Amino acid sequence: MPEIVLQARGLAKAFASPAGRLPVLTDVSLEVFAGEAVSVRGSSGSGKTTLLQQLGGLDQPDSGDVRILAPGAGLVAPRTSLGRGVGFVFQNYQLMPELTALENVALAARIAGAPSVAATEAARALLTQVGLGARLEHLPAKLSGGECQRVAIARALVNRPSVILADEPTGNLDERTGAEIMDLLLGVVADRGAALILVTHSREFAERAGRRFVLSGGVLSPA
Amino acid sequence: MPWFLHLALRQLFPPGKRFPAFATVSILGVALGVASLLVVQTVMNGFGEEHRLRIRESFGDCLVTGPAPIEEPEALAKQLAARPEVASAAPFAEGPALARNGDFSGIAQVRGIDPTDPGQPARKYVYGGRFDDLDDGRIILGVGLARALRVRVGDRLEIWSPAMAERAEKGKAPLPAEFEVCAVIQTGFTEVDNVAAIMPLRRFREIWNLGPRAHGLTLRLKEPALAPAAAGRLGAAHPGLRFRPWQDIKKDFLEALRFEKTMLFFLMFIITLVASFSIGSTLFSAVIRRSREVGVLASLGAARWQVVALFGLQGLLIGALGTLLGFLLTWTILFFREGILGSINRLFGAGDMVANVYQFSKVPLHYDASDFVIAAAFTLLTTAIAGLVPALWAAGRRPSEAMRDA
Repeated sequence: MPEIVLQARGLAKAFASPAGRLPVLTDVSLEVFAGEAVSVRGSSGSGKTTLLQQLGGLDQPDSGDVRILAPGAGLVAPRTSLGRGVGFVFQNYQLMPELTALENVALAARIAGAPSVAATEAARALLTQVGLGARLEHLPAKLSGGECQRVAIARALVNRPSVILADEPTGNLDERTGAEIMDLLLGVVADRGAALILVTHSREFAERAGRRFVLSGGVLSPA
Repeated sequence: MPWFLHLALRQLFPPGKRFPAFATVSILGVALGVASLLVVQTVMNGFGEEHRLRIRESFGDCLVTGPAPIEEPEALAKQLAARPEVASAAPFAEGPALARNGDFSGIAQVRGIDPTDPGQPARKYVYGGRFDDLDDGRIILGVGLARALRVRVGDRLEIWSPAMAERAEKGKAPLPAEFEVCAVIQTGFTEVDNVAAIMPLRRFREIWNLGPRAHGLTLRLKEPALAPAAAGRLGAAHPGLRFRPWQDIKKDFLEALRFEKTMLFFLMFIITLVASFSIGSTLFSAVIRRSREVGVLASLGAARWQVVALFGLQGLLIGALGTLLGFLLTWTILFFREGILGSINRLFGAGDMVANVYQFSKVPLHYDASDFVIAAAFTLLTTAIAGLVPALWAAGRRPSEAMRDA
């Protein structure tokens, strides 16, 4: 049986609004196994990004608990596994504009504690794997949207996390580039044995995941 | 190099931009503040040092006087010179006189000295003629006095002392003493150059009817900085005499100079503070602009202290580079100070302010390492704080707040 890499139990989150507390997540539970791809679909404002933030440790749920498999540490709270147990891919790439593609990827490894040379070598290998071997020294401003997203995918993978959380990774890309990025993301994640949680509007891309969920009214249910 | 230092440098100096606006303006602001502070301090030090030097050269390291002229000054000089703290002792006499060259006359402050003393300070300031030509028939004049009297080296002049007036009162014909100018001195201290006249002590005694007496002695000490302690010991050994260390001779003036320097330090430091505030506010807007990046760094596992270091270091780097540039700017301004001051005087139609008001022919300066250390420490501290405040704000944000922008 595959190993559990992410475990969420009874997650709830509400935000303050003029009309009072607005529930966004209600009793969300989820288990994700090594190597599998999970998609979460939902309309705008349904709480997909909020769910990813709770799962990835970028925000604290009002109640409930999340555990992520961190290499060598077992299942731990996501905040302590940031950068190692979990990697993020964002819709707007979120690359450091002053760093080259190589430096952007190496930065993630440096933050995780890798020595400079090892970080650069790992970044170079990953960027070559995602097809950017010739663009290592380019700044993000000199790269296309698809290329930036490839850099972001490489950055998310450089520390060999057990889970990749991808928030609308094709949202800013045209259809063809979006399809290429999805192919790359699913391929590279599978290749590395990581799990993928993909949040998307796109039914087409969501269908490519092994398990599919829909988030509606704060409730996560199988599609 | 830690990743946050690398990123801080890249954010300050993005690749492909020769003069990044934020870094350039901030560094220049700090540099101007530091330079203003140090230029003022160094010139104030220069004024202080010049005044201290003039005081020591005029009065010695310690001035010995009595309630009346000293009766046996040569014997006392010998006795004092034998003391371990004293390097040399020389009797002197001084008094005002009327100097006259035909239709031109002026008040001279005449000083009678031992012309054979190799340590006479006037030797350093000979502008024309020769100090060693000074004898009973010759006199040395300050350059301002020589100009007022229209005399040059080799010309003759008359000296009328107050003792001559006494002769006139007694019904005797007062005859002036005649001298040939053997040298002209320029100390750069206008107050001295406009009135100074130097003659041998023996001749002074004749003209002033002093007999073997002298008005006092000047002492050169082995350690001039310790003059107050030495004066105390010497005074205890010679209760009838007054020993004044050079620090006491114009104490109020020196205190005023010190106070002025301290006040100017704080006034000038405000410029650096303003620069630091501007760094703080610019860094704040940079942090707000980069809030997504702060969230991304958190998602990559950056610790809060590392985010603080990233932005705090930017303030510190600006402070360090601004300080270094400020040092360079200080040196440049001070190197060209005469030209700069001349241009300012011409621009505002002012005369030679330094000579007329401050009694110096050149803008004096004295580099003091402690001023540079203090300026650097204060600047680094304020710019570090300026960087730290927005850095703490950035690090205190929840990653999700930043990511919500993403």
